[in-house]
Amino acid sequence: MKKVIVACGSGVATSQTVASKVKRVLEEKKVRADVQAVDIKSLENYIKSSDVYISITKNTKEYDIPTLNGIAFLTGMGIEQETQKLLDLLK
Amino acid sequence: MDILQSVVNYILDLGAEVFVPALMIIIGLIVGMKVRNAFNAGIILGVAFIGMNLVIGFMLEAITPAAQALAELTGINLTAVDGGWTTAATITWAWPYAFLMFPIQLAINGIMLLFNWTKTLNVDLWNVWGKIFTAVLIMGITGNMYIAFVGASVVAVVELLLADLNQLQIEKVTGIPGVTVTHGMNILAVSLMPLDWVLRRIKLFNKKMDASALREKIGVFAENNVMGAIIGLLLGFAAGYSVADALILSMQAAAALTLFPMIAKLFMEALSPLSEAINEFMKKRFKGREMFIGLDWPILAGSNEVWVTIILTIPFTLLLSFILPGNEVLPFAGILNIGLAVPALIVTGGNLLRMLILSILGTPVFLYAATYFTDIITNLAESTNAVKIEEGQRLTWSTIEYPVIRYILTELGSLTILGISLAVIWVLLFIFYRQQMTKRNKELSITE
Repeated sequence: MKKVIVACGSGVATSQTVASKVKRVLEEKKVRADVQAVDIKSLENYIKSSDVYISITKNTKEYDIPTLNGIAFLTGMGIEQETQKLLDLLK
Repeated sequence: MDILQSVVNYILDLGAEVFVPALMIIIGLIVGMKVRNAFNAGIILGVAFIGMNLVIGFMLEAITPAAQALAELTGINLTAVDGGWTTAATITWAWPYAFLMFPIQLAINGIMLLFNWTKTLNVDLWNVWGKIFTAVLIMGITGNMYIAFVGASVVAVVELLLADLNQLQIEKVTGIPGVTVTHGMNILAVSLMPLDWVLRRIKLFNKKMDASALREKIGVFAENNVMGAIIGLLLGFAAGYSVADALILSMQAAAALTLFPMIAKLFMEALSPLSEAINEFMKKRFKGREMFIGLDWPILAGSNEVWVTIILTIPFTLLLSFILPGNEVLPFAGILNIGLAVPALIVTGGNLLRMLILSILGTPVFLYAATYFTDIITNLAESTNAVKIEEGQRLTWSTIEYPVIRYILTELGSLTILGISLAVIWVLLFIFYRQQMTKRNKELSITE
């Protein structure tokens, strides 16, 4: 199963909101994936073992795995586009 | 009526871990969640309470004896153990009237949008807890629930006004158009602005510094496990423990700090279907209207300046907690002072040096506020059965967000002269803040 991570300042609130939302979207589309909320302070440790990173901040660094825009899942603007990208990556 | 009263009391007596999930299931069903999902969310909420209870109990058991040993050895009395914001949130959600704040916040936001008093739609429903916590503190001081909710409503209004004023600055930091931050922590920016206004005039403090290289070097200290281990070890030595005991305390502290967020996110998981339903409802109401979307602070968490400031402030927080007369707070789970660094980021526009100075200057305010509110937090934990507290244990939150306005509101709620004078001063500061930010927004929109 592919692993998707969402990071926020503590790995508790915003990241979990996005993670829950993404989980529900994937369930609807019948796509199986492991979606986890993580702490941005320990992001480097999680990146290695993940397939997709959903970011809610401006990235100052490039990562080795594809990065999606998590703000879309929070505001609903551009959510279809990001969902499609995620589905393609999880195929 | 008596029967109803006794039924309510019976359920309340079962404690937060039963009462709040039951309430959550009922609310879930009312807003149209599927029965299965409502029960699922409710049970997760109960699990979150029990999980937090376990970790808080574990933390208190490990830290309190060390704090007491420290007091005996040195006479430094730091017996209020800092459970951080996750502990404060747990206790807050356990307050029987907590969920009332949802409709109040929605009504305030709706009315303010309707009359064009704000341009922001706050979709960050998680941080309703910050307003509930404000109500809890006011209730603890005044004993009056109406005043408590009025005070919490003031916070909800101010949050929206500030979200409007800060939007352009936040867009500049995040690079995301149309969003802003509605988190109450930014209310502290009002009090920081005059300090920054002075600092800005000094040439030395306008130097640009490279925060990203610095974060790369010291970032590891902000990771929960590493930070917990270091604080535990230092505390063990300060308390006169043997090397072996200090090492054990160090690992216990690391465990507590690592486990807190793992469990606290269960609260979010339980509440997220509810907050999503409310969001959809609000967005539908105000469709087609140009609005800023108000989000939680982590959209700013990409800022290296924030993390460098937070990490470099840690040693000052520890030092100050030992030397400030009257401080009783032992900084621990809440030691990362996000609620100071984020408003400092907005006020300074991302100048690292000034953010650091503001953070160090602000730290005593936070420690004194945490000391002041310790008994209220401990009492609520006991009365709601949210956390089991043993004799002699005291709980607090060393970095209580927006401490200034919270203190003023508790004083104002009691209608003291001090409260009224502070409130007047605060309003003047707000006017100054608005003037400064309006000026900055003009400059920012020209340079774009």
